Amino acid sequence: MDDNVKVVEAETSLEALREADEALRLPAVAEPITYPIETKVPDARQQTPAVGQRATRPDGRLHGLGQTKYIDDLSFPGMIHAKIKRAGIAHARIKSVDVSEAAKMPGVLATLVGAEIPVNSFGPSLQDQPVLASDIVYHAGDGVAAVAAVTEQLAADALEKITVEYEPMTPVFDPLEAMSDDAPKVHDPDSNIYATKVIKKGDVDKGFEDADHIFEATFRTQMVEHVPLEPHATIADWDGNGRLTLWSSLGRITMGRADVSRTLGLPYNRIRIIGTIVGGNFGGKNEITQEPILGLLSKKTGRPVKGVYSREDEFMSSTTRHPFIMEYKTGINSDGRIVARKVRLVCDGGAYCSWSETTLGKACILSAGPYNIDNLHVEAFAVYTNKTMTGAMRGFGAPQVCFAYESHMDDMAKELGIDPLEIRLLNAFEENAASPTGQVLESVVVKESLQIAAERFGWKD
Amino acid sequence: MKRTGKGIGCMWYPIGFTVAANPSAATVKINEDGTATVLTGTVETGQGALTVLGQIAAEELGISADDVHVVSADTDTTPMDTGAIASRTTYVTGNAIQMAAEKAKEILFEVAAPLLRVKAEQLEAADRKIQVKGFPQRCLPIAEVANHAQFVMGMPAIGSASFNPPTVEMDPETGQGKPFSTYVYATQIAEVSVDDETGEVDVIRIAAAHDCGTAINPMLVEGQVQGGISMGIGFALQEEMLFDENGVQINPNLTNYIMPTSLDMPEIEVDIVENYDPTGPFGAKGVGEPTSVPTAAAILNAIFDAVGVRIYSLPATAEKILAAIKEKRAEERQALPAAE
Repeated sequence: MDDNVKVVEAETSLEALREADEALRLPAVAEPITYPIETKVPDARQQTPAVGQRATRPDGRLHGLGQTKYIDDLSFPGMIHAKIKRAGIAHARIKSVDVSEAAKMPGVLATLVGAEIPVNSFGPSLQDQPVLASDIVYHAGDGVAAVAAVTEQLAADALEKITVEYEPMTPVFDPLEAMSDDAPKVHDPDSNIYATKVIKKGDVDKGFEDADHIFEATFRTQMVEHVPLEPHATIADWDGNGRLTLWSSLGRITMGRADVSRTLGLPYNRIRIIGTIVGGNFGGKNEITQEPILGLLSKKTGRPVKGVYSREDEFMSSTTRHPFIMEYKTGINSDGRIVARKVRLVCDGGAYCSWSETTLGKACILSAGPYNIDNLHVEAFAVYTNKTMTGAMRGFGAPQVCFAYESHMDDMAKELGIDPLEIRLLNAFEENAASPTGQVLESVVVKESLQIAAERFGWKD
Repeated sequence: MKRTGKGIGCMWYPIGFTVAANPSAATVKINEDGTATVLTGTVETGQGALTVLGQIAAEELGISADDVHVVSADTDTTPMDTGAIASRTTYVTGNAIQMAAEKAKEILFEVAAPLLRVKAEQLEAADRKIQVKGFPQRCLPIAEVANHAQFVMGMPAIGSASFNPPTVEMDPETGQGKPFSTYVYATQIAEVSVDDETGEVDVIRIAAAHDCGTAINPMLVEGQVQGGISMGIGFALQEEMLFDENGVQINPNLTNYIMPTSLDMPEIEVDIVENYDPTGPFGAKGVGEPTSVPTAAAILNAIFDAVGVRIYSLPATAEKILAAIKEKRAEERQALPAAE
């Protein structure tokens, strides 16, 4: 009889334990979704004709629901994490890179140095940029070694164990200083000027002679970052057939594949780049960064490797907007008509060429503003310095020169006693105007945009 | 004392870029129910490009934005594209998609012509129908034609095309040439308030009138303008990467690199300037980068109007503005005739 009692007690306590356990346990599956799974499609998405409709974005709904998968939301079985060690010195010869202590750390599965990269250079117009610096460091944000470990934190810790011996070289930071003959040279032993553009139209000297007034000013702009919400991020998977798949935040996958092919020596058909939804680009994700590094770390470990830049990586090592020094000289008549302009642009090209040539070209063409100037002379230079690399950024030199030519315009308007709106309307391009490069412009609406903005703003009130 | 001022920033900007060829390719598949799938190698980077590209395909096929699904950005499956750069997606990729859609549509016309007893050239696509030009009541639903093409005629309606803007290389000596196919134009006017005791600037409102050719999706154009202006404000007033004497950045974080937040945003009034570029898809050009170009110029001119000081180097921080105000006041005091 005693035995029976014991059994009952045992069953009760077991039940109680189960209940207590159930109450403590976190739900094994996520809470049921609370949005209607049947999507109501807004009218603007269903109407024809489609052009001109204020159609909502299908990706917008996913963003709003938190369902968009950015790189950091993706995970694969066995995936490991990579981190890149930054030089922290602006110009130096690398005497040695020792990764042995890092490699010994528990959880570290592979390391990589520049010498292991098959073709350690790339770039859209000049191939002057190493994937990982192996010989010379050109700016403080240069990567010098990489580590792959089972967690991101372990990879970051392992970077501390890497020792690099540097022989410091004299750096140059100011672009005007860098242009002088005796300045320390960044890449080319002859000159730091790596791109030059010229535009000549009419006779600028005669134009200045004929003009009633001459105005001169120098404008400068700073280095800024794109600061996308999502930093550069990639997952690389080198499979058993020697085929590399990259899930990447790149904004230009066609060129990205060409660069990966070049740096890794792989045929194009063994590289697959999948561009994920990108959390902001603004020109900062136009070229490869860590993709070849992650590919090789994946090859070494046989595991998918994820690399997500920290904000510091993003600032220090990715491209930025070119600082410009812009000298303007303008000849203008008392009635406000511009007759001649001379512009000299120096763009701080940072450590690598990247998209400087394009930036310089656009800045050069646009530097006169949307105005008719018969006599024009523009010369522009891109100069290497040992600063963070500059590259494509929303506007390719246009925000810089616009700040200059529009500030210059208002200075002149004020001196001549002309309303800023009127002086612009007087000089603005019309349909079939000739651009600084002699191109006949079509669908020109400069004056309309001035008038519409002025009306909306209440300029004359 | 807070002083207000107004300033204009006016600009022009080219669509596409110059260093090399600038092509986009695209494939359009009309599905058996009259919906469509577009393959493009460009990448959605948050600007809404895929929605706009879908609308371009839809317009060509006479269907709606929701009838089109856009597959993008996979080098294994999507055609080559120069990418999300240089404000080129709507214009260059858009042209490629329009041309590809037209080729796919021509297959439907070929299939529909005998059914409607007309020549293929007499047909057009509109309102989800294939119809006879000038006689829209003589029509077939696009779904019926697409189904017939695939399952009866064995002619899947697929088109592929590519587009590269025609340019003329610039002469290296004089810069003369046709570097870009087309340009857009815009004006932004800013109203600011400047505290002449602290140098602090508050951007109160910006009126922005932008040309983008045809606005394929006016809502997304407005979104680009608003985003561009926020970037322009940071460029004008706040953002700057600072380096120590060794060339190491001292503010590589968002605590010390100050970006505009929602609290810094002015009231923005957007106007889309009516325009049509015959070389663009349905008259469209582009709008991405230009939205950020004239903002700093407008703000700096407004500061000049408010307190009479010209800041020659960006960003126009409160410190720089205050120093310039003090310098101007000192000059003005000196210019005064000396007291007897």
